[in-house]
Amino acid sequence: MSVTEESMALPWPVVTGPGGTTPAELMARVARGDSDAFTQLYDQMAPRVFGLIRRVLRNPAQSEEVTQEVMVEVWRTATRYDADRGSPTSWILTMAHRRAIDRVRSEQSSSDREQAVAAASTTPAYDEVSEAVTTNLEVEQVRHCLSALTELQRESVTLAYYGGYSYREVAELLDAKLATIKARMRDGLIRLRDCLGVTGK
Amino acid sequence: MTTPDVHMLTGPYVLNALPEDERIGFEAHLADCSSCSAEVAELREAATKLGTAVAVPPPPALKARVLAEIATTRQLPPLVRDPEPRPVDELAQRRYSRRSVFGLAAAALAVAGAGGIAVDQYRDNQRTERQNEQLAALLSQPDAKTARGEVAGGGQATVVMSAGQDRAIVLLHGLAKLPDGKTYQLWLQDRSEAMHSAGIAGPDDTKLIQGGITDKIALGITVENTPGVPAPTQAPAALVPMV
Repeated sequence: MSVTEESMALPWPVVTGPGGTTPAELMARVARGDSDAFTQLYDQMAPRVFGLIRRVLRNPAQSEEVTQEVMVEVWRTATRYDADRGSPTSWILTMAHRRAIDRVRSEQSSSDREQAVAAASTTPAYDEVSEAVTTNLEVEQVRHCLSALTELQRESVTLAYYGGYSYREVAELLDAKLATIKARMRDGLIRLRDCLGVTGK
Repeated sequence: MTTPDVHMLTGPYVLNALPEDERIGFEAHLADCSSCSAEVAELREAATKLGTAVAVPPPPALKARVLAEIATTRQLPPLVRDPEPRPVDELAQRRYSRRSVFGLAAAALAVAGAGGIAVDQYRDNQRTERQNEQLAALLSQPDAKTARGEVAGGGQATVVMSAGQDRAIVLLHGLAKLPDGKTYQLWLQDRSEAMHSAGIAGPDDTKLIQGGITDKIALGITVENTPGVPAPTQAPAALVPMV
Protein backbone atom coordinates (compact mmCIF):
# COMPACT_ATOMS: atom_id res chain seq x y z
CA MET A 1 0.00 0.00 0.00
CA SER A 2 1.50 3.32 -1.01
CA VAL A 3 1.80 5.96 1.62
CA THR A 4 0.60 9.26 0.27
CA GLU A 5 1.40 12.74 1.41
CA GLU A 6 -2.05 13.00 2.78
CA SER A 7 -1.69 10.03 5.07
CA MET A 8 1.81 11.16 6.01
CA ALA A 9 0.33 14.44 7.11
CA LEU A 10 -2.06 12.57 9.33
CA PRO A 11 -0.09 9.53 10.40
CA TRP A 12 -2.02 6.67 11.90
CA PRO A 13 -3.21 6.53 14.58
CA VAL A 14 -4.25 10.07 15.19
CA VAL A 15 -5.93 10.04 18.55
CA THR A 16 -6.43 13.75 18.47
CA GLY A 17 -6.48 15.93 15.41
CA PRO A 18 -4.96 19.37 14.96
CA GLY A 19 -5.86 21.50 17.92
CA GLY A 20 -6.42 18.38 20.04
CA THR A 21 -9.91 17.57 18.75
CA THR A 22 -11.04 14.26 20.17
CA PRO A 23 -13.33 11.84 18.34
CA ALA A 24 -16.05 12.56 20.92
CA GLU A 25 -15.95 16.30 20.18
CA LEU A 26 -15.96 15.61 16.46
CA MET A 27 -18.92 13.24 16.78
CA ALA A 28 -20.97 15.92 18.50
CA ARG A 29 -20.26 18.32 15.64
CA VAL A 30 -20.89 15.69 12.98
CA ALA A 31 -24.27 15.00 14.56
CA ARG A 32 -25.14 18.63 13.91
CA GLY A 33 -24.24 18.28 10.24
CA ASP A 34 -20.71 19.73 10.33
CA SER A 35 -18.96 18.25 7.30
CA ASP A 36 -15.57 19.73 8.23
CA ALA A 37 -15.74 17.82 11.49
CA PHE A 38 -16.64 14.73 9.50
CA THR A 39 -13.55 15.19 7.33
CA GLN A 40 -11.40 15.25 10.46
CA LEU A 41 -13.22 12.25 11.87
CA TYR A 42 -12.63 10.45 8.59
CA ASP A 43 -8.90 11.09 8.83
CA GLN A 44 -8.83 9.69 12.34
CA MET A 45 -11.08 6.70 11.78
CA ALA A 46 -10.79 5.55 8.17
CA PRO A 47 -7.46 3.71 8.66
CA ARG A 48 -8.94 1.71 11.50
CA VAL A 49 -12.16 1.01 9.65
CA PHE A 50 -10.38 0.04 6.45
CA GLY A 51 -7.71 -1.99 8.25
CA LEU A 52 -10.25 -4.02 10.20
CA ILE A 53 -12.52 -4.63 7.23
CA ARG A 54 -9.59 -5.64 5.05
CA ARG A 55 -8.36 -7.96 7.78
CA VAL A 56 -11.69 -9.78 7.76
CA LEU A 57 -12.56 -9.66 4.05
CA ARG A 58 -9.06 -9.74 2.53
CA ASN A 59 -10.36 -8.55 -0.82
CA PRO A 60 -9.16 -4.93 -1.27
CA ALA A 61 -11.94 -3.81 -3.61
CA GLN A 62 -14.67 -5.22 -1.35
CA SER A 63 -12.94 -3.69 1.65
CA GLU A 64 -12.98 -0.25 0.08
CA GLU A 65 -16.64 -0.63 -0.76
CA VAL A 66 -17.59 -1.67 2.76
CA THR A 67 -15.39 1.07 4.26
CA GLN A 68 -17.26 3.63 2.18
CA GLU A 69 -20.60 2.21 3.36
CA VAL A 70 -19.51 2.36 6.98
CA MET A 71 -18.14 5.91 6.83
CA VAL A 72 -21.30 7.17 5.12
CA GLU A 73 -23.32 5.34 7.77
CA VAL A 74 -21.29 7.12 10.46
CA TRP A 75 -22.34 10.43 8.91
CA ARG A 76 -25.96 9.38 8.51
CA THR A 77 -26.46 7.95 11.99
CA ALA A 78 -24.17 10.26 14.00
CA THR A 79 -27.38 11.80 15.33
CA ARG A 80 -28.17 8.46 16.99
CA TYR A 81 -24.79 7.96 18.61
CA ASP A 82 -25.11 7.72 22.39
CA ALA A 83 -21.91 8.56 24.24
CA ASP A 84 -23.19 6.79 27.36
CA ARG A 85 -22.96 3.48 25.57
CA GLY A 86 -19.40 3.53 24.34
CA SER A 87 -16.64 5.58 22.75
CA PRO A 88 -16.98 6.84 19.17
CA THR A 89 -14.10 4.60 18.13
CA SER A 90 -15.89 1.59 19.53
CA TRP A 91 -19.17 2.62 17.94
CA ILE A 92 -17.56 3.05 14.53
CA LEU A 93 -15.42 -0.09 14.67
CA THR A 94 -18.34 -2.17 15.88
CA MET A 95 -20.29 -0.99 12.85
CA ALA A 96 -17.30 -1.75 10.60
CA HIS A 97 -16.86 -5.24 12.05
CA ARG A 98 -20.54 -6.04 11.67
CA ARG A 99 -20.63 -4.89 8.09
CA ALA A 100 -17.59 -7.02 7.33
CA ILE A 101 -19.13 -10.05 9.05
CA ASP A 102 -22.45 -9.47 7.29
CA ARG A 103 -20.57 -9.52 4.00
CA VAL A 104 -18.80 -12.75 4.94
CA ARG A 105 -22.05 -14.43 5.99
CA SER A 106 -24.03 -13.27 2.98
CA GLU A 107 -21.33 -14.67 0.71
CA GLN A 108 -21.51 -17.89 2.63
CA SER A 109 -25.25 -18.12 2.21
CA SER A 110 -24.98 -17.41 -1.51
CA SER A 111 -22.87 -20.58 -1.55
CA ASP A 112 -19.68 -18.62 -1.94
CA ARG A 113 -18.58 -20.35 1.19
CA GLU A 114 -15.38 -21.72 -0.24
CA GLN A 115 -14.16 -18.29 -1.13
CA ALA A 116 -14.93 -16.93 2.30
CA VAL A 117 -13.21 -19.83 4.00
CA ALA A 118 -10.18 -19.47 1.76
CA ALA A 119 -10.08 -15.76 2.52
CA ALA A 120 -10.03 -16.35 6.23
CA SER A 121 -8.12 -19.60 6.43
CA THR A 122 -4.73 -18.01 6.82
CA THR A 123 -5.50 -17.94 10.47
CA PRO A 124 -4.86 -14.71 12.33
CA ALA A 125 -1.90 -15.61 14.47
CA TYR A 126 -1.41 -12.82 16.94
CA ASP A 127 1.95 -12.09 15.32
CA GLU A 128 -0.01 -10.76 12.44
CA VAL A 129 -1.44 -8.01 14.58
CA SER A 130 1.80 -6.16 14.17
CA GLU A 131 1.80 -6.64 10.40
CA ALA A 132 0.61 -3.18 9.53
CA VAL A 133 2.22 -0.92 12.07
CA THR A 134 4.93 -2.00 14.46
CA THR A 135 6.03 1.29 15.89
CA ASN A 136 2.90 2.08 17.76
CA LEU A 137 2.62 1.58 21.49
CA GLU A 138 -1.02 0.70 21.35
CA VAL A 139 -0.31 -2.09 18.88
CA GLU A 140 2.50 -3.39 21.05
CA GLN A 141 0.16 -3.39 23.99
CA VAL A 142 -2.50 -5.38 22.11
CA ARG A 143 0.14 -7.84 21.00
CA HIS A 144 1.45 -8.20 24.50
CA CYS A 145 -2.01 -8.68 25.95
CA LEU A 146 -2.95 -11.26 23.30
CA SER A 147 0.15 -13.23 24.16
CA ALA A 148 -0.97 -13.27 27.78
CA LEU A 149 -4.08 -15.27 26.89
CA THR A 150 -4.19 -19.06 26.87
CA GLU A 151 -3.88 -20.49 23.40
CA LEU A 152 -7.53 -21.52 23.31
CA GLN A 153 -8.67 -18.07 24.46
CA ARG A 154 -6.50 -16.36 21.91
CA GLU A 155 -7.56 -18.58 19.04
CA SER A 156 -11.23 -18.34 19.96
CA VAL A 157 -11.10 -14.56 20.06
CA THR A 158 -8.97 -14.01 16.96
CA LEU A 159 -10.69 -16.61 14.76
CA ALA A 160 -14.00 -14.93 15.50
CA TYR A 161 -12.84 -11.33 15.32
CA TYR A 162 -10.29 -11.39 12.51
CA GLY A 163 -11.45 -14.57 10.80
CA GLY A 164 -15.13 -13.68 10.86
CA TYR A 165 -16.17 -17.14 12.05
CA SER A 166 -19.23 -17.91 14.15
CA TYR A 167 -18.61 -19.61 17.48
CA ARG A 168 -19.85 -22.88 15.99
CA GLU A 169 -17.31 -22.64 13.20
CA VAL A 170 -14.60 -21.76 15.70
CA ALA A 171 -15.54 -24.80 17.79
CA GLU A 172 -15.27 -26.93 14.67
CA LEU A 173 -11.88 -25.52 13.74
CA LEU A 174 -10.51 -25.92 17.25
CA ASP A 175 -12.24 -29.24 17.83
CA ALA A 176 -13.76 -28.02 21.08
CA LYS A 177 -17.21 -28.03 22.65
CA LEU A 178 -19.56 -25.13 21.88
CA ALA A 179 -19.89 -24.19 25.54
CA THR A 180 -16.11 -24.17 25.91
CA ILE A 181 -15.65 -21.84 22.96
CA LYS A 182 -18.35 -19.44 24.18
CA ALA A 183 -16.68 -19.35 27.59
CA ARG A 184 -13.16 -18.87 26.13
CA MET A 185 -14.39 -15.98 23.96
CA ARG A 186 -15.77 -14.31 27.04
CA ASP A 187 -12.91 -14.93 29.45
CA GLY A 188 -10.38 -14.15 26.71
CA LEU A 189 -12.01 -10.75 26.16
CA ILE A 190 -12.23 -10.17 29.91
CA ARG A 191 -8.54 -10.83 30.24
CA LEU A 192 -7.83 -8.53 27.31
CA ARG A 193 -9.98 -5.82 28.86
CA ASP A 194 -8.11 -6.08 32.14
CA CYS A 195 -4.73 -6.15 30.45
CA LEU A 196 -5.55 -3.19 28.19
CA GLY A 197 -7.21 -1.24 30.99
CA VAL A 198 -10.26 -0.29 28.96
CA THR A 199 -13.66 0.60 30.35
CA GLY A 200 -17.08 0.73 28.78
CA LYS A 201 -17.40 4.49 28.97
CA MET B 1 -33.56 -16.94 26.51
CA THR B 2 -33.25 -18.52 29.91
CA THR B 3 -30.45 -21.04 29.51
CA PRO B 4 -27.99 -20.92 32.40
CA ASP B 5 -25.07 -19.95 30.18
CA VAL B 6 -26.78 -16.94 28.66
CA HIS B 7 -24.28 -14.61 30.34
CA MET B 8 -21.47 -16.42 28.56
CA LEU B 9 -22.83 -15.03 25.32
CA THR B 10 -21.38 -11.55 25.95
CA GLY B 11 -18.09 -12.82 24.45
CA PRO B 12 -19.44 -14.30 21.21
CA TYR B 13 -21.90 -11.39 20.93
CA VAL B 14 -19.18 -8.75 21.06
CA LEU B 15 -17.13 -10.72 18.51
CA ASN B 16 -20.20 -10.91 16.23
CA ALA B 17 -19.89 -14.69 16.40
CA LEU B 18 -23.54 -15.46 17.16
CA PRO B 19 -25.87 -16.70 14.43
CA GLU B 20 -28.74 -14.30 13.70
CA ASP B 21 -31.39 -16.04 15.80
CA GLU B 22 -29.14 -16.36 18.85
CA ARG B 23 -28.12 -12.73 18.47
CA ILE B 24 -31.75 -11.66 18.51
CA GLY B 25 -32.42 -13.80 21.57
CA PHE B 26 -29.39 -12.43 23.37
CA GLU B 27 -30.27 -8.84 22.54
CA ALA B 28 -33.71 -9.46 24.02
CA HIS B 29 -31.97 -10.66 27.18
CA LEU B 30 -29.58 -7.71 27.06
CA ALA B 31 -32.47 -5.27 27.26
CA ASP B 32 -33.33 -6.62 30.72
CA CYS B 33 -29.86 -7.38 32.05
CA SER B 34 -27.95 -4.28 33.06
CA SER B 35 -24.88 -6.23 34.19
CA CYS B 36 -24.75 -7.86 30.74
CA SER B 37 -25.01 -4.48 29.00
CA ALA B 38 -22.18 -3.11 31.11
CA GLU B 39 -20.05 -6.14 30.32
CA VAL B 40 -20.85 -5.86 26.62
CA ALA B 41 -19.75 -2.21 26.64
CA GLU B 42 -16.45 -3.06 28.31
CA LEU B 43 -15.68 -6.09 26.18
CA ARG B 44 -16.54 -4.09 23.10
CA GLU B 45 -13.87 -1.54 23.98
CA ALA B 46 -11.39 -4.43 24.30
CA ALA B 47 -12.45 -5.82 20.91
CA THR B 48 -12.10 -2.32 19.46
CA LYS B 49 -8.42 -2.40 20.41
CA LEU B 50 -8.05 -5.55 18.33
CA GLY B 51 -9.54 -3.63 15.44
CA THR B 52 -7.33 -0.60 15.96
CA ALA B 53 -4.28 -2.86 15.99
CA VAL B 54 -4.68 -3.75 12.32
CA ALA B 55 -5.19 -0.22 10.99
CA VAL B 56 -3.99 0.46 7.45
CA PRO B 57 -4.33 3.76 5.55
CA PRO B 58 -7.09 3.41 2.94
CA PRO B 59 -6.47 4.49 -0.66
CA PRO B 60 -6.67 8.30 -0.80
CA ALA B 61 -9.33 8.24 -3.52
CA LEU B 62 -11.74 6.68 -1.06
CA LYS B 63 -11.87 9.88 0.96
CA ALA B 64 -13.11 11.90 -1.99
CA ARG B 65 -15.78 9.29 -2.70
CA VAL B 66 -16.99 9.28 0.89
CA LEU B 67 -17.05 13.06 1.13
CA ALA B 68 -18.95 13.29 -2.15
CA GLU B 69 -21.50 10.78 -0.91
CA ILE B 70 -22.10 12.45 2.45
CA ALA B 71 -22.65 15.74 0.66
CA THR B 72 -25.77 14.20 -0.85
CA THR B 73 -26.84 12.11 2.16
CA ARG B 74 -29.35 13.40 4.64
CA GLN B 75 -28.68 12.58 8.30
CA LEU B 76 -31.23 10.71 10.37
CA PRO B 77 -33.24 12.71 12.87
CA PRO B 78 -32.16 11.97 16.45
CA LEU B 79 -34.19 9.42 18.38
CA VAL B 80 -36.66 11.00 20.73
CA ARG B 81 -36.78 8.61 23.63
CA ASP B 82 -40.15 7.03 24.18
CA PRO B 83 -40.26 4.23 26.71
CA GLU B 84 -43.92 3.42 26.05
CA PRO B 85 -44.54 0.58 23.59
CA ARG B 86 -46.28 1.84 20.50
CA PRO B 87 -50.03 1.23 20.47
CA VAL B 88 -51.27 -1.23 17.90
CA ASP B 89 -52.13 0.65 14.75
CA GLU B 90 -55.90 0.77 14.95
CA LEU B 91 -56.35 1.85 11.39
CA ALA B 92 -54.37 -1.14 10.16
CA GLN B 93 -56.51 -3.40 12.33
CA ARG B 94 -59.74 -1.98 11.00
CA ARG B 95 -58.46 -2.28 7.49
CA TYR B 96 -57.62 -5.89 8.23
CA SER B 97 -61.11 -6.82 9.34
CA ARG B 98 -62.66 -5.02 6.39
CA ARG B 99 -60.54 -6.89 3.95
CA SER B 100 -60.88 -10.22 5.65
CA VAL B 101 -61.31 -11.86 2.27
CA PHE B 102 -57.59 -11.42 1.80
CA GLY B 103 -56.99 -12.98 5.18
CA LEU B 104 -53.74 -12.32 6.84
CA ALA B 105 -52.06 -11.33 3.61
CA ALA B 106 -53.79 -7.98 3.91
CA ALA B 107 -52.36 -7.43 7.36
CA ALA B 108 -48.86 -8.64 6.61
CA LEU B 109 -46.83 -5.48 6.20
CA ALA B 110 -43.89 -5.85 3.92
CA VAL B 111 -40.72 -4.66 5.57
CA ALA B 112 -37.58 -4.71 3.47
CA GLY B 113 -34.21 -6.03 4.48
CA ALA B 114 -32.84 -8.40 7.03
CA GLY B 115 -33.71 -8.41 10.72
CA GLY B 116 -32.12 -6.53 13.53
CA ILE B 117 -33.09 -4.91 16.76
CA ALA B 118 -32.98 -1.45 18.22
CA VAL B 119 -31.70 -2.24 21.72
CA ASP B 120 -28.29 -2.03 20.16
CA GLN B 121 -27.45 1.35 18.69
CA TYR B 122 -24.78 -0.13 16.43
CA ARG B 123 -27.32 -1.94 14.34
CA ASP B 124 -29.13 1.15 13.16
CA ASN B 125 -29.39 1.62 9.46
CA GLN B 126 -31.97 2.63 6.97
CA ARG B 127 -33.02 -0.86 5.96
CA THR B 128 -33.55 -2.19 9.44
CA GLU B 129 -34.70 0.78 11.46
CA ARG B 130 -38.39 0.30 11.10
CA GLN B 131 -38.50 -3.41 11.77
CA ASN B 132 -35.96 -2.99 14.54
CA GLU B 133 -38.40 -0.77 16.37
CA GLN B 134 -41.21 -3.23 15.76
CA LEU B 135 -39.09 -6.15 16.84
CA ALA B 136 -37.88 -4.37 19.96
CA ALA B 137 -41.44 -3.46 20.89
CA LEU B 138 -42.50 -7.05 20.40
CA LEU B 139 -39.57 -8.53 22.30
CA SER B 140 -40.24 -6.15 25.17
CA GLN B 141 -43.63 -7.79 25.70
CA PRO B 142 -43.65 -10.02 28.79
CA ASP B 143 -45.15 -12.92 26.83
CA ALA B 144 -42.79 -12.65 23.84
CA LYS B 145 -41.69 -16.03 22.51
CA THR B 146 -39.20 -17.01 19.85
CA ALA B 147 -39.25 -20.16 17.74
CA ARG B 148 -37.03 -21.17 14.91
CA GLY B 149 -36.68 -23.85 12.29
CA GLU B 150 -34.56 -24.87 9.35
CA VAL B 151 -35.89 -24.34 5.86
CA ALA B 152 -35.52 -27.14 3.31
CA GLY B 153 -32.99 -25.99 0.75
CA GLY B 154 -31.09 -23.89 3.28
CA GLY B 155 -31.57 -21.03 5.70
CA GLN B 156 -33.58 -20.47 8.84
CA ALA B 157 -36.92 -19.03 9.78
CA THR B 158 -37.33 -17.34 13.15
CA VAL B 159 -40.70 -16.30 14.54
CA VAL B 160 -40.93 -13.78 17.35
CA MET B 161 -44.47 -13.53 18.65
CA SER B 162 -46.62 -12.10 21.40
CA ALA B 163 -50.10 -13.51 21.95
CA GLY B 164 -51.00 -10.47 24.06
CA GLN B 165 -50.19 -8.13 21.18
CA ASP B 166 -51.50 -10.59 18.61
CA ARG B 167 -48.46 -9.85 16.53
CA ALA B 168 -45.60 -11.85 15.14
CA ILE B 169 -42.47 -10.99 13.23
CA VAL B 170 -40.99 -13.56 10.89
CA LEU B 171 -37.29 -13.32 10.09
CA LEU B 172 -36.01 -15.29 7.14
CA HIS B 173 -32.31 -15.65 6.85
CA GLY B 174 -30.21 -17.25 4.15
CA LEU B 175 -32.97 -19.00 2.24
CA ALA B 176 -32.11 -20.22 -1.24
CA LYS B 177 -32.62 -17.68 -4.02
CA LEU B 178 -35.53 -18.73 -6.19
CA PRO B 179 -35.68 -18.76 -9.99
CA ASP B 180 -37.83 -16.10 -11.67
CA GLY B 181 -41.54 -16.65 -11.24
CA LYS B 182 -41.23 -18.57 -7.98
CA THR B 183 -41.72 -17.00 -4.59
CA TYR B 184 -41.76 -17.88 -0.93
CA GLN B 185 -45.14 -17.62 0.73
CA LEU B 186 -45.77 -17.59 4.47
CA TRP B 187 -48.66 -19.41 6.11
CA LEU B 188 -50.16 -19.64 9.56
CA GLN B 189 -51.52 -23.05 10.43
CA ASP B 190 -54.56 -23.26 12.70
CA ARG B 191 -55.57 -26.09 15.00
CA SER B 192 -57.51 -27.84 12.25
CA GLU B 193 -54.25 -27.72 10.23
CA ALA B 194 -55.74 -25.30 7.71
CA MET B 195 -53.20 -22.85 6.26
CA HIS B 196 -53.88 -19.11 6.14
CA SER B 197 -51.73 -16.96 3.90
CA ALA B 198 -49.50 -14.43 5.63
CA GLY B 199 -48.04 -12.93 2.50
CA ILE B 200 -45.06 -13.50 0.26
CA ALA B 201 -41.43 -13.10 1.29
CA GLY B 202 -37.91 -12.91 -0.09
CA PRO B 203 -35.04 -15.23 0.84
CA ASP B 204 -33.70 -12.74 3.42
CA ASP B 205 -36.72 -10.92 4.66
CA THR B 206 -38.53 -9.65 7.71
CA LYS B 207 -42.32 -9.68 7.88
CA LEU B 208 -44.67 -8.26 10.45
CA ILE B 209 -47.88 -10.20 10.92
CA GLN B 210 -50.50 -8.24 12.77
CA GLY B 211 -53.56 -10.08 14.04
CA GLY B 212 -54.67 -13.67 13.73
CA ILE B 213 -51.75 -15.05 15.72
CA THR B 214 -53.34 -16.35 18.89
CA ASP B 215 -55.12 -19.41 17.52
CA LYS B 216 -52.31 -20.49 15.22
CA ILE B 217 -50.00 -23.39 15.94
CA ALA B 218 -47.29 -23.14 13.31
CA LEU B 219 -45.65 -20.97 10.66
CA GLY B 220 -45.36 -22.64 7.27
CA ILE B 221 -43.27 -21.61 4.28
CA THR B 222 -43.90 -22.87 0.76
CA VAL B 223 -42.32 -22.16 -2.60
CA GLU B 224 -45.15 -21.11 -4.90
CA ASN B 225 -45.26 -20.69 -8.65
CA THR B 226 -47.90 -17.96 -8.38
CA PRO B 227 -47.44 -15.26 -5.76
CA GLY B 228 -50.22 -14.97 -3.24
CA VAL B 229 -52.15 -18.18 -3.86
CA PRO B 230 -55.09 -18.59 -1.43
CA ALA B 231 -53.97 -22.03 -0.26
CA PRO B 232 -50.61 -23.78 -0.44
CA THR B 233 -50.06 -25.74 -3.65
CA GLN B 234 -46.75 -27.19 -2.49
CA ALA B 235 -45.52 -29.13 0.53
CA PRO B 236 -44.04 -26.79 3.14
CA ALA B 237 -40.29 -26.11 2.97
CA ALA B 238 -40.54 -25.36 6.68
CA LEU B 239 -43.11 -25.72 9.42
CA VAL B 240 -42.09 -23.95 12.59
CA PRO B 241 -44.20 -24.82 15.65
CA MET B 242 -45.44 -21.69 17.43
CA VAL B 243 -46.79 -23.36 20.55
